[in-house]
Parts: sequence; C-alpha cells; structure tokens
Amino acid sequence: MNEMTGVERFRSEVPQPDPDRLRAHEDRLLAAIAQDTRRTTSGLRRFGLDARRSPSRPRRLGLDARRSPSLLRRLGLATGLAAALAAGFMVVTTHRGNPPVVIRTMPAVASEVLTRAAQNVIKTPELHPEPGQFLVYESRTMDPAEGQDRDGRPMRYLSRAVRKVWLPVAGDATGGFIDEEVLEPKPWPGWPIPPEARENVGPGGGPSKLADFDDRAEFLRNDYAYVSRLPTDPHKMYEHLYTQLGNTRQDDTEAWNRVRGLLTEAYLPAPQRAALFRAAAAIPGVVTVEHAVDAAGRSGIAAARVDPVLGQRQEYIFDRGTYLYLGERSVVTDAARAGAPVGTVLTSSAQLSVSVAGHAPSATVRN
Amino acid sequence: MSGTNRAEVDDAACIERSRRDPEVFAEVFRRHAADITRYVTRRLGEDAADDVVAETFLAAFRQRDGYDLSRPSARPWLYGIATNLMRRHVRTEVRQLRVVERTGADPVTASFAERSDERLSAEASRRRLAGALAALPKGHRDALLLVAWGGLSYAEAAEALGVRLGTVQSRINRARGRLRAEFGGINPSATVSEESVCE
Repeated sequence: MNEMTGVERFRSEVPQPDPDRLRAHEDRLLAAIAQDTRRTTSGLRRFGLDARRSPSRPRRLGLDARRSPSLLRRLGLATGLAAALAAGFMVVTTHRGNPPVVIRTMPAVASEVLTRAAQNVIKTPELHPEPGQFLVYESRTMDPAEGQDRDGRPMRYLSRAVRKVWLPVAGDATGGFIDEEVLEPKPWPGWPIPPEARENVGPGGGPSKLADFDDRAEFLRNDYAYVSRLPTDPHKMYEHLYTQLGNTRQDDTEAWNRVRGLLTEAYLPAPQRAALFRAAAAIPGVVTVEHAVDAAGRSGIAAARVDPVLGQRQEYIFDRGTYLYLGERSVVTDAARAGAPVGTVLTSSAQLSVSVAGHAPSATVRN
Repeated sequence: MSGTNRAEVDDAACIERSRRDPEVFAEVFRRHAADITRYVTRRLGEDAADDVVAETFLAAFRQRDGYDLSRPSARPWLYGIATNLMRRHVRTEVRQLRVVERTGADPVTASFAERSDERLSAEASRRRLAGALAALPKGHRDALLLVAWGGLSYAEAAEALGVRLGTVQSRINRARGRLRAEFGGINPSATVSEESVCE
C-alpha cells in the first residue's frame, strides 16, 4: 500500500450523509436564502418557501410520487405465474419521464459479502459468448402465484419450476427460448393449493419461444451485448442502477431490485460483474444474512435488503467459499404486509448453470 | 451511459439563473452537498461539519454574482469556500488527528459503524498516518485531501485553493514525501484486498 492509498482509506468509513440530514440543511439554506433575499429586495419578492417546503410535498421533481417500485416488484413477481400459465412472458416497463436532476453518488460504506463477491469474480472461468450465439441458463425457481380460480375465487400458492432458458447474445427476450418443467407447487401459508396449480405439473414438452414481447426500458436491458458495455467503474455502475431514481428509501429498494435483473438469467463479463457487486454493496440498507438457502437447497451467505413496503427481505445468495452467485430468496419480515408469517420464504431461485450454445434449440410450436 | 443522457444544465447555468431566481440555488446544493458534507465530516467530524457545510452554501449563495460562469462545474469553487471556512477549525482538526495518533481511537469516526477487521489490521499505520497528517502545514494538507478525499484533480484543487497548478503539485509531492517517510518499514498488505479487480 502506498501512502496515497493509506490516505484514501483513512476515515473512509465516514458515510455519505443521511438524506434527512441533507434535507434539514437544504431547508435551512432555503430559509436563509429567502431571508437574505427579502432583506436585499425590501420584501418585494416573495417565494412562499414555507408552504412549498412542507413535508408533504413530493421532493425531487415529484419523482417519489410518480414511481412505485413496489408495484414494479409485484409485476416482477407475477412473471413466474405469467410464464407458467400463459406461456407468455411479461417484462416490466419503467415509466419514461424527465430524468431526475439528482444523480446518486456512491457511498463508501459497503456490504462485505458483495465486496468479497467482487474480489472473487476473476476466480471463476470466464465465458466468452460471440454474437449469434446463445447463453443458456439452467435454474430452479419458486415464485408466488396469485390470481383467481375457475370459480372466480382468489387463489394463492407458490409455483415451482425447473427451467432452461436460451437467450441471444444480443437482443431482447423475444429471441429467447424456454424449456420448463413445472414442479409440484407449495402452499402459500394459510391457503389451500388450488387444482389449477397442478394442471401444468410435469415436463414442458420441449423448448418454446420465451417471450412474445419485451418492452423493457433501454437501461433495464440485460442481454450480453448490452451488459458488456455497462461501466466497469463501480461509481458509474451505481449511477446506472439509479437511472431515473431519486433519493428515497423506495429508490434504494428499486435499485436493489434492479441488481436482480443483472444477476438472474444474465451474464456480465467479470469487470462489469465486479463493478455491479461493488455498486450493489453501497446501496443503503444492505445487510448480511449469514445463512441462506437457495431453491436447490444449497446454502450460502447472502447480501440482503429489507423492502419495507413488501415486508420482505430480498436476498442475493453467494457460495461461502467461492462467492459465486447461487440464487436469490425473499423472506417475510413483516407478516401484515407480506400476508404470510415472518420467516416464510416466498420467492427463491437457484442458478444451476450458465453456458454458451452455438445456436437456438429447435423449438416446439405450441398453440 | 444511461443516467447521464439528460439535457444537462450545468452548475454555471444554475448559478446564473439563481441570480434572478434565488431559489434555483438549491439545485447547486442538491448536486454537491452530499460530497462536501462527507468531505468536511471526514476532516472535522459531524458536529463541526454541520456548521461548515451550512456556512459554505450560504456563503456560496451570497458570492454567486462573482462566480465565473465559464466554469461549468461549481465543485472546485464550493470546495474552496469550504476549505476557507475550515481554517477556523484547524486546531480541532489537528487535535483530533493527534488523538488518533496517541490512542488509535478516532473521534471523527466514532459515531459511524467501523469496518473493524480492516481497522485493526491497519491500526499501527493508521495512527502514524494521523500523526503525519497532523504535522503537515495546513496548505499541504488541504491540497492533499482535496485530491485524495474530495476527488478533485490537481487543476481543480488549484482552483479551489486559489493557487497555481505548480503550487498544488509541489505541496502534494512534499506531503506525500512526509507521509511516505512515516509509512516506511510498515507492510500493511492485509488491507490491500480492496484493490479494484476490473481495471
């Protein structure tokens, strides 16, 4: 370590200031500005500052009011069900609007699990998919399924599957294929498993088209060609995660959810992956879960963040030795909000393998 | 990348607008307050930082008519104002560094969660470093920390301090020389684990 690195490390645990502290400062500044200006213009100008700075006013250009990350997550959760029942694929579109003026800068305090994961990316063999090829992901999943049964009564269960997905190196999900075997469902605590949940259990009958449409916003793309161009600088990656987001805890939740899009059925080159882990490590509120189990029963250590709106802790699980990404899990932390007892695992996945294929599978046409 | 593809209004434009519409100046605050607050906190601790940051932005607001609009980023200007205001606290700063040197406990970071494993492994070098920083002439410490902690380029640091580029270079070189002498013979290799792997 040279002396500059020593200086850079010194007191690096001092975090970015708390947003509330900054807001208090901002309000004080505005009050002083108003006072100053009144004095210098003899009260000719009025700003109505007090009224406008009231706590109920949505800040950051109304961003808070406009965005609803919990809604996005709910739609995200529905994906498994949509895929399983409709053989279609729904991807969340993020509302396009005026981008926020405030861009988040990355704090220094970081999750240790994700920092280790970043340090370990070079230890796993790197894939080098070429244009025209496919990345093939094999995984096991469990997602909440909610809907109505044939008689129009609400139903809730946990849908499980083993899936193999082929995604083109460049281009969206409509160029992808899926071969899925639906597994025996699990009950949502307190709810019966409806007959509908078992209708599709069994092998899926060969690969079929993955998605009929994919209208994700540009910055949410996760095909290899796109993610290869993402920044390798963690600070820039952090800004990428916060694209069009603001400074609230909800925005942090959304940024944390976006990490999933870059981990699940996505493959980032090692430099981008390291930057992603470092950026994710700095999202406020990340905690370590010492013992977490993925959908395949593999246990590891997780970086996690509580989503206070959903009442669930969203975990990304890593192998304790290699820090290879294993999968994700969400665990109920607030029974009332989640609608299930604390500790219930509602979502889980296990990424079993990622490989490169020269061409798409021969797809079965389904009606 | 995405996130920067916005119709960017630079700081100079904000400041110019704030001359007619003072409330616009809040935008300058929103852009830079987090970084400046962290920088000042790191040097003086949270309590003094609150005062300095509040004074910095109010002083900047009052000086906005004098801002050189040909400079798109207000960063060097704001760091310069903060640096000037920190002069009043130089004794506090040095006293706290000396506490680190003597005891290993840091009054500045006491209230924040510490990365204890790293802290312990680098304990001896950290104490020496604090002592060396305390011993630097203030102008040298300012230049060094504006670059190392504030992330300013040498040219920006020169702008912030109102000195020539060559002065900043020589101050930082001399500061580094002093610190290197303090670091001599220590091998805190246990703490280099965070070097970026993606360069």
